[in-house]
Amino acid sequence: MEFGPILRALLRNKLGVMLIALQIAFTMTVTVNAVYIIDQRSERMARPSGLDEANIFHLSSVGYGNNFNESVASTEDLALIKAIPGVVDVTVMNAIPVSGSGSSTGVGIEPDRPETSVQTAMYTSDENVLNALGLNLVSGRAFSTNDVRRGGRDMERSHSVAILTTALAERIYPGEGMQAVGRTIHSPGGRTMEIIGLVERLQTPWPESSFIEQSMLIPEVVDDGSTLYIVRTVPGERDRIMTEVEELLAAQGHERILRNNRAFEETRENSYRLDSVMATILYVVIGTLMFITAMGIVGLAVFSINRRRKQIGTRRALGATRPDILRYFLLENLLISGSGVVLGAVLTLAFNMFLVQTFDMPRIDWFYAPVGMLLLIILGQLASLAPAAKASGIAPALATRSV
Amino acid sequence: MLKMHNINKVFRTEVVETHALRDFSLHVAEGEFVTVTGPSGCGKTTFLNIAGLLETASSGQYLLDGEDVSALNDFQRAKMRNQKIGFIFQSFNLMPDLNLFDNVDVPLRYRGVKAAERKDRIERALDAVGLLSRKKHLPAQLSGGQQQRVAIARALVGEPRFLLADEPTGNLDSNTAEGVMELLHSINSQGTTIIMVTHDAVLASRSARNIQILDGRIIDDRRAHQKAA
Repeated sequence: MEFGPILRALLRNKLGVMLIALQIAFTMTVTVNAVYIIDQRSERMARPSGLDEANIFHLSSVGYGNNFNESVASTEDLALIKAIPGVVDVTVMNAIPVSGSGSSTGVGIEPDRPETSVQTAMYTSDENVLNALGLNLVSGRAFSTNDVRRGGRDMERSHSVAILTTALAERIYPGEGMQAVGRTIHSPGGRTMEIIGLVERLQTPWPESSFIEQSMLIPEVVDDGSTLYIVRTVPGERDRIMTEVEELLAAQGHERILRNNRAFEETRENSYRLDSVMATILYVVIGTLMFITAMGIVGLAVFSINRRRKQIGTRRALGATRPDILRYFLLENLLISGSGVVLGAVLTLAFNMFLVQTFDMPRIDWFYAPVGMLLLIILGQLASLAPAAKASGIAPALATRSV
Repeated sequence: MLKMHNINKVFRTEVVETHALRDFSLHVAEGEFVTVTGPSGCGKTTFLNIAGLLETASSGQYLLDGEDVSALNDFQRAKMRNQKIGFIFQSFNLMPDLNLFDNVDVPLRYRGVKAAERKDRIERALDAVGLLSRKKHLPAQLSGGQQQRVAIARALVGEPRFLLADEPTGNLDSNTAEGVMELLHSINSQGTTIIMVTHDAVLASRSARNIQILDGRIIDDRRAHQKAA
């Protein structure tokens, strides 16, 4: 291997080499951190909500006339929807998971001790909620019809039952979360709730929240002029039933507006739109940087080869085979890329520390830098392959020509 | 050592066909010092390129050291150049970014010689041309004559049996050229076969054998005793 002579020759032509090495280092710094951000976002977007997402849609009914009776309309609507072939179940709720809008409260094991309380999303619904959302009950029981309270905003709420996510139970009872059924928790205003069940997962309405897995279901249906229906269908029937439900409810009159008839997947997509747009932008940035860097490497290699055509011919005359010449230029690129990625690794970590300190981002995993180094070296080798192959085709007879 | 029989070399373009060598036949015995002269464009360099395996002949037979090289592929030709032939070029053809040591090292690396042996050989070759003390210098830090000495060291370091020199004194003043010629004669006296292309009639007249080429053919092949006679 010709590491020594190539390195010494490169050190005598520092400027071009340094510029390309810096470009590689910069590309690596941006690329590795951008990939890490994309991975973080993708991981967030891939978190399961706990719902049977592919088969759920929701629809709101908002009354506007003086004769609108929400309780009557809701009872009729639920019966009509449930009777449609292909509907697994239907429920009413105060909020949609991962939609961006909902209610939260604090719960704790002691009353009136807000400093010990744990933050949680609070969903109100009826006895059909587990089946209608497709939630997995891992302990205790579901709501019964008798558990569900119905009334206006001012109905009595001092005591009720509740179903918690396992994440919330574990947070309230560290190490004993799975034994939470039967225990009592308290929320502000002197309200007590007996835990009757635990579900494996039910995300909060807020994808950005730090307590996304901490949710609580309360058996309440509040008449406040607006009803949100969540409908679960058998697989493959969702889109058809969405249309059918809207037409059916519209035909009932009731002086109300039907709106937001959407598949849960669409709601979820909307909530994560910013993440997905950011990932796309970062992919474009990475692609552009990689392309520019590859072109820079090609440019330097072509310039360097054209400048040394006679030298290459002389090397061939002195006994270099075509593979020897190919190897020489790939090795030369390896040294340039190698110095770039070593500098890039340092800059990557420094830039990540800046992001951690400034934007409270998580620290980059250790393997991102070596993987980035390897990828940039492969990019460098691929970019210099064509010029190196061209150089290896230079005829040895060039050594005796006066060019 | 070198036997060419009816060698032809034709360069073709879309519009013109140039016969650089025509029915060129030559036998050079081991240990000879042959100069090749002729006007510009007569085919000297083409002959040198074919003799040095830098180009292939269009037709004819060429035996180098008893081996028919006509059928060798590019890889085999490169290996044969590296092992059997030393080159000295008119404009030295040193690598400007490499120091003298690394320049002389080039053919040995392609031969796969181990580092310790390479170092020993390079230092001996540089010592033979009187430039060992400057082994860390770059070519640009040397005079033309010194650069040609480095090129000779590079040609000799692989201990080739056959040395091809293309106008080795063409870029040197007469005093320096004289020194280089003395060095070449000294190398020849140790058994290395040398073929030297030159424009210089005086230098040619001092060689044991001079071949004159015109229009791709040998028009004169004289040995020193014939001239003397």
